[in-house]
Amino acid sequence: MPQRSSEQEPSDSETSKLRTFGLLGGCGAGAILLQTSVLQTLPFVPDLLLILCVYLGIYHRSVAGAAGAFFLGYALDSCSGLPAGTHTLAMSLIFSAVALVSQSLWMNNPVSVFGLIALAVLLKTVTFLFLHEAEWAAVLFLPLVARYVLWDVLFSLLLTPLIFALLAAGERGPSRA
Amino acid sequence: MLEVLHRYRILLSCGFILFISLLLATVNARSPYRMDPVGVLFLEVMQPFQVGLTALTQGSVKVWDQYRDLLSVHQTNEVLRARLAAFERMHKQLIELELANQRLELLLGLRAQALGSPIAARVIGRNPGAWTHTAVLDKGQRHGIRKGMAVLTPAGVVGQVVSVGPHAAHILLIAAPNSGIGALVQRSRVPGIVSGTLAGHCHLKYVQRGSDVQVGDVIITSGQDGIFPKGQQIGSVTRVTTRDDGMFQDLEVMLSAELAKIEEVLVVAPAVVRAGAERLGDE
Repeated sequence: MPQRSSEQEPSDSETSKLRTFGLLGGCGAGAILLQTSVLQTLPFVPDLLLILCVYLGIYHRSVAGAAGAFFLGYALDSCSGLPAGTHTLAMSLIFSAVALVSQSLWMNNPVSVFGLIALAVLLKTVTFLFLHEAEWAAVLFLPLVARYVLWDVLFSLLLTPLIFALLAAGERGPSRA
Repeated sequence: MLEVLHRYRILLSCGFILFISLLLATVNARSPYRMDPVGVLFLEVMQPFQVGLTALTQGSVKVWDQYRDLLSVHQTNEVLRARLAAFERMHKQLIELELANQRLELLLGLRAQALGSPIAARVIGRNPGAWTHTAVLDKGQRHGIRKGMAVLTPAGVVGQVVSVGPHAAHILLIAAPNSGIGALVQRSRVPGIVSGTLAGHCHLKYVQRGSDVQVGDVIITSGQDGIFPKGQQIGSVTRVTTRDDGMFQDLEVMLSAELAKIEEVLVVAPAVVRAGAERLGDE
């Protein structure tokens, strides 16, 4: 069977990268839509983008991953009505922290992932408080903030296995005969 | 140089995106106007999806709320139905009380007609057979009821006490074939005896042929039997049959008192006893 040139058909690696880009982009857009439109009816909105950023930080430690986390946060800022930079900074921080930690330590296990999720939620909360100049007020409302963080961690931990499994399955793609 | 960049590419890219993010956040935090050059583009792309999804979500929430309202409406409906049933029961009881009140008022009116000391009683049982016409009263000897006493209602004559127990009494209804009451045609004063038949009708017997009796004539007690007080209504003539042979006419009478429906009655001492008691009272 004659092989095609790269101009005629992208190689397996390029196809895989394209699929990953499409998958993560689509998932990011879907997560943004869910968070900003559909899940708003719930009493507590789980942060799907945060889980996606942790996934990027663990499995896509690259320039593209960093750009992806940045643009996901930026898109969420644009669609949610927050001043640009709020989610951007939070997601960039999360990606950076996760990428740097997972570069040094073995993170490809559920316990470590759960630890990273908790760390990500804490980072996001601190970023929000910092950007809204509410760090001193937060001390006064510490129980409230703690409860919020606890719920956020809990929801994220519940959703993480599912989202990670779906993303991994999506990246593997359909099995070839 | 390129090798260094490649080696630390992740660190550098993280630093770069953090720098840009911080810059964006700082600028937007200080400026009253948002610096969001690419955000508009993002928003333009996402806006139709957001509109569609928001409409879908709100529609779903609305449907769910309506469903929940429907459930609560169902529950409220059940509660209201139960309350309505309770009120209907109460209403029926009130109607029953009102009717009983009316009947008792009529009985009191009858009692005022100088019938001695009548005893009010309730009908607590009836003979279910078609051939016998008896009923049971809730009062007996202990209450002063004696055998032979007349039983009346405001509508008319009912019957006669035939046996008495300490707390109950049996009465033979006027429609029984073996009963007999001295009667008069109110208009023409023609005498006769009202008696029942096996078919449940009543007849005015022993009225001579040629006597002045018409359909619609009212039949009252004559008082000559010494049991029923004079002038109590028995019924009215519904059919007059004059036969070619024999001495008497055949007159069918419809009773004034609906024997099947009587509930409260007055039991009155026989006329002879009442007269004796009145004489004793005068002396």
